[in-house]
Amino acid sequence: MSKVVGIDLGTTNSLVAYVGKDGPLVIRDGSGDGLLPSIVSLGANDVVYVGREAQRRLLTEPLRTVYSVKRFMGRGSDDVRDEARLFPFRLRGEAGGVVRVGLGDREFTPPEISAFILRELKRRAEEHFQEQGEFDFEVDRAVITVPAYFNDAQRTATRDAGRIAGLEVLRIINEPTAASLAYGLDQRKTGTIAVYDFGGGTFDISILRVEDGVFQVLATNGDTHLGGDDIDQLMVALVTREMGAGMGAADASPARLQAIRQAVIQAKWDLSERADTEIRVTEPGGGDAGAPIFRRSLSRDEFERIIRPVVERTLGPCRLAMADAGLEPAQIDEAVLVGGSTRIPLVRRSVQELFGRPPHTGLNPDEVVALGAAIQAHIMVSGSRDMLLLDVTPLSLGIETMGGAMSKIILRNSTIPASGTEMFTTFVDNQTAVDIHVLQGERELVSDNRSLARFKLRGIPPMPAGLPRIQVRFQIDANGILSVGARELRTAIEQTIEVKPSYGLTDEEVERMLLESFEHAEADVEARFLIEVRNEAETVLRATEKSLRNPDLAVAATTDLAPGELAAIESALADLRSVMESNNRAVIEQKTRVLNDVTRHLAEVMMNRGVRAALTGRNVNGI
Amino acid sequence: MSSEARTLTLQSCRHCGAGAPAQVHFCPQCDRILTLARHGDYFSFFGLPRKLTIDLADLEQRFRALSRQFHPDYFYNASTPERLASLERSSYLNDAFRVLKQPLDRAEYLLKVEGLPSVGRHQDAKELPAGVLEEVFALNEELDDIRAAREAGATPDQLMARLDAARRPVEERAARQEAQLEALFSRWDRQVDEKSSPDVRRATLESLRDLIQERSYIANLIAAVNRERGES
Repeated sequence: MSKVVGIDLGTTNSLVAYVGKDGPLVIRDGSGDGLLPSIVSLGANDVVYVGREAQRRLLTEPLRTVYSVKRFMGRGSDDVRDEARLFPFRLRGEAGGVVRVGLGDREFTPPEISAFILRELKRRAEEHFQEQGEFDFEVDRAVITVPAYFNDAQRTATRDAGRIAGLEVLRIINEPTAASLAYGLDQRKTGTIAVYDFGGGTFDISILRVEDGVFQVLATNGDTHLGGDDIDQLMVALVTREMGAGMGAADASPARLQAIRQAVIQAKWDLSERADTEIRVTEPGGGDAGAPIFRRSLSRDEFERIIRPVVERTLGPCRLAMADAGLEPAQIDEAVLVGGSTRIPLVRRSVQELFGRPPHTGLNPDEVVALGAAIQAHIMVSGSRDMLLLDVTPLSLGIETMGGAMSKIILRNSTIPASGTEMFTTFVDNQTAVDIHVLQGERELVSDNRSLARFKLRGIPPMPAGLPRIQVRFQIDANGILSVGARELRTAIEQTIEVKPSYGLTDEEVERMLLESFEHAEADVEARFLIEVRNEAETVLRATEKSLRNPDLAVAATTDLAPGELAAIESALADLRSVMESNNRAVIEQKTRVLNDVTRHLAEVMMNRGVRAALTGRNVNGI
Repeated sequence: MSSEARTLTLQSCRHCGAGAPAQVHFCPQCDRILTLARHGDYFSFFGLPRKLTIDLADLEQRFRALSRQFHPDYFYNASTPERLASLERSSYLNDAFRVLKQPLDRAEYLLKVEGLPSVGRHQDAKELPAGVLEEVFALNEELDDIRAAREAGATPDQLMARLDAARRPVEERAARQEAQLEALFSRWDRQVDEKSSPDVRRATLESLRDLIQERSYIANLIAAVNRERGES
């Protein structure tokens, strides 16, 4: 049986987990790292890099490297115009259409970029299962998490990303709810919990009732554009301002901007552990690479003054969620922290003040969502009925009525699946079609809400105006995704519905992208080989350099090495170093082989000396 | 249709064709989840009599138990008709729970399934009894005066005092309405237990409908006064 996994597709990092014999487990890469940076970079010849390798390229190839793509999922190019200035990569797309990210001379939609990340996680998981000796190690199904406050378009975009990556998406579940599953498994308690999920790009608060193994969300609220990114941007602004005229964010080169971003992120991390740190920015590239260009000390107090407005923006949604749940802070038994930004001491203090008790910090805030997703995937395929998630729709669903007002059909915080019906009729005689505009949001006016889709009801039997009675049924499924059905009640004729998602991909587009991804699979495999070859070269380089630094070498060189042997090694070393950044896999492989060959004798000599040294002074019987 | 007649309605299993009472969710013969029938109501879906007083802890417990029986998470491997049935039954369950747990929504729903015309949300003031109508007019006049006083520069303290005085009689009426509502709930439940005649029960439902209508009018008035307080 093929494998199922749970995936946390995060703004900053993504993770994959599964439920094994001993419970849920995050799958790590070769170096033990569970986090995959949600970064994608396009190299020469359309080679795609994902994760750490792409992260390194943020500095060297800022125009071809995209991060925080989750912020653009399910959004229109009009929505992101203001934000686009803050990112070094190009964001475009026709007016009224879906956002496109330009990398090199290619363009990708956010679901396609996310699909690269998902494919990498799928590959990581398959490698893991293969190493475990599993016969059928293919991963073809997954539960993927999204912020609770994601709207229909953002959820659909996430599901599309899964399909493009070749995954059947079992379920889209909300991140805080996923976290509560992992928490519940850990604690096995009954009670009311608040999950405060402050991640890289999004903020969610969910209030849940846990009883009889049922995790019932009472209310949820949040902000899909509030996260650690906003803290980073405030800090980047501080540094560019202080660096002086001509160094403003708009003027700094993309590579410098990335260098500043990485420096302030490091300082942010430091200040979760210490009361003081230093922001150090070094020149990212060119002849002066590594030269310091900015230094400044930063205390936790000053940091907290700067970021306080961002942290305070999380408190409003918390109060609204509690009001919707009909609860007072004192009725919350436990506040659970999720997301990397909850490591910030000011965030923890703010949560403590709000709920009047210290938050639960026993879970790894980076991993808990992926673990919960794995549990949900397990529930769905194993037939286990120990636990059940009952989530809600975060936003009200409605339709446009006369005069540009929104009429609500399914209210926010309704448990999903949920449905609602609305009656329509015709305005002129023999009218056979009716336009319906579907919206999501809490505001009164259409223009203040999110446009989800426009439907055309066709095939209405010709009748005098006002006579047809068309019942339109809106169904929100357990993924929080909408579908629509309609029938004319007088004739019982089912209507055909044409869906034009306002900011999404059509099924045909998703299909085409899936096919394209197969065409590029060859380039992707090539990228993987290149990374492996580079890693191998790096290992040989490091080992050689270590030998050359060995204090015993001077002695060995005079007694054991041939004349010119050291010079040959140094030349082979320099040769390999010079091709490390090249994309030519064969050249790197060849130079690695040369270095390996010329150092073989040296390695033997050093090993023998090591053995001899170890043996010296020991009595034969001791060996 | 009376509630007794309704429980006799049958649904049939699309898989094996066996008949089943309206209030069961799984086929008695083949155990498959039943496609949601068009008839039936929220009360019978929960296995509850059509009464207005509901023990909330019991309702919640039933809700969780039913969720565990037919949530779509548990039908992932099932056939397409069963998956659809699970989706429809879960949606219906969630809608039913939302309505039944709120006493007023529950009462309005009962009026609907018992065939009474729906309670108007923006009803005509002239439908209200004379006593209530007088109170409404008086309060609206007073609110106009208070707005004028504010324009003329009255202090917040003066405005607050007048608003509080204006609010008192409507709040007293609202409290009386709550007590009347409770009495009507008990009367209806007793009539169900005693199997009173349809005419007697109909009269109770009509009183209930009038009261709910009045109540929503008074609630709007209190909200209007509170808005004014917010601005003072």
